[in-house]
Amino acid sequence: MNKILAIAKTEYAIAIRSKAFIIGILAVPLLMGGSILVQKFMKNHVDTTDRKCAIVDRAGFLYPILESANAERERNVVFEETESGERKQVRPRFLIEKYTETGSPEQTGIELSRRVKKGDLFAYLIIEKEILDTDSTAPGRPILAYHTKTPTFEALPDWIGSTVNQAVLSRRFETAQLDRSLVQKLSKRIRLTSLGLVKVSKDGSSTAAKRESELKTTGIPIGATMLLYMLVMTATPMLLNQVLEEKMQKISEVLLSSVSPFQLLMGKLIGIVTITLTLSLLYLGSLYFVAWRFNMTDLIEFSTLGWFLLLLALALFMYGSVFSAVGAACSEIKDSQSMMMPAIVVIIVPLFFLPAVIESPNSLLATALSLFPPATPTIMMLRIGLPPGPPIWQIFLSIALTGVFTILCVAAAGKVFRIGILSQGQTPTFAQIFKWVFSK
Amino acid sequence: MGYSRPIHNMTSNNLAVSLSGVSKNYGSFTAVKNLSLNVPNGSIYGFIGPNGSGKTTTIRMILHILQADAGQIEVLGKNGTRAANDSIGYLPEERGLYKKMKVLSLLEYYASLKGMSRKDARAEGTRWLDRMELSKWTDKKIETLSKGMAQKIQFIACVIARPQLIILDEPFSGLDPVNLETIRSAILDLQRQGSTVIFSTHDMSMAEKLCDSIFMIYKGEKVLDGTLSEIQSGYGKDTVRLRVEDGARALEGLPGIDKIMDMGRYLEVKLQSDSNEFLAALMQRTRVQLFEEARPSLHDIFTRIANPQVNERTHE
Repeated sequence: MNKILAIAKTEYAIAIRSKAFIIGILAVPLLMGGSILVQKFMKNHVDTTDRKCAIVDRAGFLYPILESANAERERNVVFEETESGERKQVRPRFLIEKYTETGSPEQTGIELSRRVKKGDLFAYLIIEKEILDTDSTAPGRPILAYHTKTPTFEALPDWIGSTVNQAVLSRRFETAQLDRSLVQKLSKRIRLTSLGLVKVSKDGSSTAAKRESELKTTGIPIGATMLLYMLVMTATPMLLNQVLEEKMQKISEVLLSSVSPFQLLMGKLIGIVTITLTLSLLYLGSLYFVAWRFNMTDLIEFSTLGWFLLLLALALFMYGSVFSAVGAACSEIKDSQSMMMPAIVVIIVPLFFLPAVIESPNSLLATALSLFPPATPTIMMLRIGLPPGPPIWQIFLSIALTGVFTILCVAAAGKVFRIGILSQGQTPTFAQIFKWVFSK
Repeated sequence: MGYSRPIHNMTSNNLAVSLSGVSKNYGSFTAVKNLSLNVPNGSIYGFIGPNGSGKTTTIRMILHILQADAGQIEVLGKNGTRAANDSIGYLPEERGLYKKMKVLSLLEYYASLKGMSRKDARAEGTRWLDRMELSKWTDKKIETLSKGMAQKIQFIACVIARPQLIILDEPFSGLDPVNLETIRSAILDLQRQGSTVIFSTHDMSMAEKLCDSIFMIYKGEKVLDGTLSEIQSGYGKDTVRLRVEDGARALEGLPGIDKIMDMGRYLEVKLQSDSNEFLAALMQRTRVQLFEEARPSLHDIFTRIANPQVNERTHE
């Protein structure tokens, strides 16, 4: 046991001083800070180039409406007043031009498309005269057609769509002699509020049901699951590379003259588990600090954190042993890439079921998946976070099953590790590796 | 001195290593076949043999890194377990050092895996670094060391825990003469202090100089085992070294010749008959410049066993 701990201690000491670990610690705050900075930068660096649009108003009443709406947009939306009181352009202007048709509709299309291609226009809009009809369309053509060679710019078509719709609706109400404001008042939608349950304490008093925060009920469980997945996916392939590197540099042979292959494997696994738990505690600690700063600590359940750490440790032992065995079996890095694929698939596949589990966390599918050891860490983590949470016996059963499965994985990996770590030359096939697992 | 683990080199039968009928197969390939070998305590035992002959497999079985398929292996009085491993120092043929670790930290780590406390390891490591003139490199990373320095660090890692049995696989490869002498002298000191040393080498002259006994393995089987003089006497009486004016042509058709080996500056001739009769016959043919009964070098014996075709013409 002392030797296992000596290996784990050294692995830990090397890792926490490594650049990869420091980058790992800084990655999350850097990414978060970076995205805030990028957003801030982008906000101040919006493309304000004018967008010119020709309008063919076959309905005959919409161009003036669009013209006046555009003037209002320019006054209220395109420019914003800064803190120093000066007006600054923050959005592009739309320059609209009334196009009077002189030929057939086809000729109009050809002419305007040519102008867009030349760069004279950004887009053109064709409004058919049937736009007020509610049950007929122009033959073979859309009623409101927006043409551009840059369909990814959405602000202009969005503005046109909303302005034209409002104008058309008003005109329809007028035609039907209905008061539009009355119709809007009568058709106002009722908002559904999602609440938890009324809590009854032992003395019989009750606490009113609280409004459920979506961040707590969905955001945090999904975030915790993804963090667990990310930590496993970062740590275990690193272990594979380390084992392979030590094998290639003959360090393993020196170590094996002092410790057994199983001690070496266990030392490495304990090392990677403690390193990753340290990293995750740092992440969780910083998240808790942020929550505390914003007075949101009631979003965090400490029992969920406990389950998170336990499931993470189990996942690291389970997948870490498999990846170490692959590293020990291979002789070259490129072989290890293809050999680790099946293990990566096993880690990734449970993620495909996340939407189904979120939709119905206590369904038969969700329960079965969370009791299937390779999927337990991610799926059970998600189920624990999602209200109402799984029955406690299911959590303990899944931990027990995963624990047994992990022991089997470590035992099998130990055998592959023992034989593989000293084998040289060609990387074995999967069939040979299975033979090693069942060898004496 | 910080660390003073006594070296108990006396096992019940005064043998550091005892192999009896040991075999090891890799699939259908037999790497070691029915090998028996006794390495006495306190001796320096040379393992020689061509590449792929089974030396490393034998060493790994002694270390219990590999399990023998058949036979008994007793190391420092312990039978068939890794129990003795803390008392064995191993220097593998290809060096295995963590490039990113600092020199003294690495030595402490390797010593701790042998059961030595970090404190003792630090003291012993510092002493060895002084002796190897590497004190200035204590806090440097392994990757900054030259090949020779790294080799010396690997040697220190092997002996830092004062093992009773030291197994060195090609300890001198890649060393310049000064570093080679440093390691050689360290090995002799360790032997004087009671350690048993097994070392595998392709350097026959070093094996001749350093080893009390030599063991040669060829195609998985033991072909030589004994002291140098015992081995040489088994090969030496029938061989003469000679140089004649007309070279090897002068020997053509002479009776009593088994084999002629052209060694460049002289010929080595294995005889079937008495050497005096052969000399008399030779002197009648040509002028003899050199004639002496030869004790074949270890190199010659190795070559004869491992590759009888090299530099050799069989007399018709």
